[in-house]
Amino acid sequence: MRVQIIGFGIIGKGFAAVLKDKRDVLRQRYGLDIKVVSISDITGTVVNENGVDIQKALQVMEKSGRLIDYPGAVEMGGLEAIEEVDADLVLEFTPSNIKTGEPGLSHMLKAMEHGKHVVTSNKGPLVLKFRTLKDTAAKNNVQFKFEATVGGAVPIINLAKENLSCDEIVAIEGILNGTTNYILTRMHKEERPFEMVLKEAQELGIAETDPSYDIDGIDTASKLVILANSIMGINATYQDVKIQGIRKITPEAIELAKDDGYVIKLIGEVKDSHLEVAPRLVPVTHPLNVEGVLNVALLKTDVAGDITIVGKGAGAIETNSAVLSDIISVWRNGNNRNDGKDYP
Amino acid sequence: MKVSFDLELKDVPGQLLKALEPISGSGGNIISIVHIREELSKRGRVPVKVICEIKNTDALEDILKELEKRDIWVSVDEVKRKKKMTVILIGHVVDTDLRDTIDKINEIRGVMVADLALSMPHPDKESSARMDIEVSGHIIDTVLERLDEIAREKDLVVIKSLEVSD
Ligand SMILES: NC(=O)c1ccc[n+]([C@@H]2O[C@H](COP(=O)([O-])OP(=O)(O)OC[C@H]3O[C@@H](n4cnc5c(N)ncnc54)[C@H](OP(=O)(O)O)[C@@H]3O)[C@@H](O)[C@H]2O)c1
Repeated sequence: MRVQIIGFGIIGKGFAAVLKDKRDVLRQRYGLDIKVVSISDITGTVVNENGVDIQKALQVMEKSGRLIDYPGAVEMGGLEAIEEVDADLVLEFTPSNIKTGEPGLSHMLKAMEHGKHVVTSNKGPLVLKFRTLKDTAAKNNVQFKFEATVGGAVPIINLAKENLSCDEIVAIEGILNGTTNYILTRMHKEERPFEMVLKEAQELGIAETDPSYDIDGIDTASKLVILANSIMGINATYQDVKIQGIRKITPEAIELAKDDGYVIKLIGEVKDSHLEVAPRLVPVTHPLNVEGVLNVALLKTDVAGDITIVGKGAGAIETNSAVLSDIISVWRNGNNRNDGKDYP
Repeated sequence: MKVSFDLELKDVPGQLLKALEPISGSGGNIISIVHIREELSKRGRVPVKVICEIKNTDALEDILKELEKRDIWVSVDEVKRKKKMTVILIGHVVDTDLRDTIDKINEIRGVMVADLALSMPHPDKESSARMDIEVSGHIIDTVLERLDEIAREKDLVVIKSLEVSD
């Protein structure tokens, strides 16, 4: 399968690293041979129809941080690469933008219009234009997969859609942002004020210099929109989410919660078509009480009852577990296995 | 549904069993039995209080009919389930009239602020209050809405519990 990588930052490079390790497994288990035919970042594009040397691309990035410094790289943007280079699937890993969705939205739509499957970790376009993207994929008869957009490595969407495929998912509750979970966990354990813990999280690189995206609940709300649309078939957008962040949480509030057997967590909840992000009191014994940067989702279903899934919500390597499983699923669904061999 | 039967039994052996049979016979589950032999009722019978979980009102009707047939006096009451909801309020909880906040919650029928804990770090700073609110089942949403109204009006942050417990 020929794939194009658009966006070669943390996740793009992480994909290259994981692919290097998993090539043999993919071949043996699934008969899947992934050939990266182009890589683009903001500086330019490397194209090779016989497969870009990803080891070398990683080395160039390590040295200069600019893909254009790869020998033979051209000043070609992502959109142009999608138009010009022959490929089966586009991996969209550019930064999330929930105001315009760009550049990811154009990349994804263009890829679909050119008959290319899309696998992405980029939330922005889905938060704004979920329906449009789904419809465009269907119209062009391509697959559109986005497990990595919610919960990083934690396979929430595929769990609901593949494994609980007969169940009705009636509600979802979860911690979908590792940064806020980290801050609240430390506030709980160390009884220190929000600003102080935030500052330390920023120094450790767990929180961004501009932390509002995480701590004001914007990131959780975005993920909730994707879950509501993809798992529960609710036609919701970002505007439909009621959002309260964690800036106003005080050590006294955490103490009062603690005295009564609760922890405070930033919870995203979809129930009865209502989407809400807010700090909530979670009983210490509750399955959603997970610590540190972990993410967790609880699916309430009609047949199976409650199902909870916990794991790493971000990370260059971890998130690519979701990306690879999406690629494998595209490969398997695409009936691209007519080589006579028997794969599990 | 959970119901409590106040039975009056004749003071002869075998009466309690006779009274309980219709309940278990209808698939009911007996939770507790309080038998007070010393105090006789006005009618000179022995009062017994039986609390049990039964299927539905149909089952209740069957039980009552059967008890009547067996000449057992009975009065019955549905035991209203109270649920406990915990919330924490952050902001100028005291300055914005805590008494009024509590009254606004208690105003709703079937709702009561049962416990309050307050934490005030400094008179100028924001304080926090934790409330246990007792609610009967179906009006939880009304209480949540009222809390949101209060929070908007008084510029408080409301942290609701994830689950409402029995
Ligand atoms: N990091 C995680 O753990 C994680 C987890 C789940 C999901 N995600 C999502 O995955 C996506 C990628 O995240 P990341 O952490 O890898 O971000 P990142 O490190 O900022 O990388 C983004 C990449 O996109 C490139 N880019 C920006 N605009 C472009 C354009 N117009 N055309 C082509 N390339 C362009 C950037 O190039 P330059 O560097 O040259 O600007 C960079 O290579 C984001 O949407 C993020 O929300 C990340």
